[in-house]
Amino acid sequence: MTDLKQRIKAMLIERLKLEGMTPDQILDDAPLFGEGLGLDSIDALELVLGLEQTFGVKIEDEAAGMKAFRSVQALTDFVADHAKA
Amino acid sequence: MAEGRIGDDIQAQLPHRYPFLMVDRVLAREPGRRVVAEKLLTSGEPWCQGHFQDRPLLPGVLMLEMLAQAGGFLEAESLRGAAVFLAAVQDARFRGPAFPGDRLQLEVRAEGSFAGLLKVKGTVACEGRELCTATLLVKRA
Repeated sequence: MTDLKQRIKAMLIERLKLEGMTPDQILDDAPLFGEGLGLDSIDALELVLGLEQTFGVKIEDEAAGMKAFRSVQALTDFVADHAKA
Repeated sequence: MAEGRIGDDIQAQLPHRYPFLMVDRVLAREPGRRVVAEKLLTSGEPWCQGHFQDRPLLPGVLMLEMLAQAGGFLEAESLRGAAVFLAAVQDARFRGPAFPGDRLQLEVRAEGSFAGLLKVKGTVACEGRELCTATLLVKRA
């Protein structure tokens, strides 16, 4: 799980071009949007595509996104629950 | 509706009109996946007057507009009356010029969508030469 969380943080940095950030600087419980990482709706689309391509996990709609994108911890739980074994 | 030309299917699909309608013909259309369209550049294009006076040359940004308009045919439904905006342009590369007389092929492929945003990869080519490649994010309000 810790490993998955690190991979998700690395994907966030690469996919969203969070230049100068390291995985350790992203807090597990910080919100991804608004406060926290300060992502916007364009980042949300990149994140959805990144999750599909990197982890094979599909975010079906905005409601699923709202839940999964609450924090890195929430996203890690979502990927762990939905990733193909 | 697999193909369209100005005056019928094209104007039914897009809200753009002269001088800003930049798709003349749709050659292939798979809604949600891929569109191939054409734009024929003529010496009557409005930008020929000033870009540039003695050597008309298609402004590069208009190639991005052409790709965005071609992307409008990825939608199964007509965009007339719908507000569609460019949200982002990524990795745009302009590799060669286009002139009056050129027949431009516009190809766009859908990369994915979420919450009303659509990401497309597009290529403008002329006689097999790539003139422009770019990734566009389009927002449908």
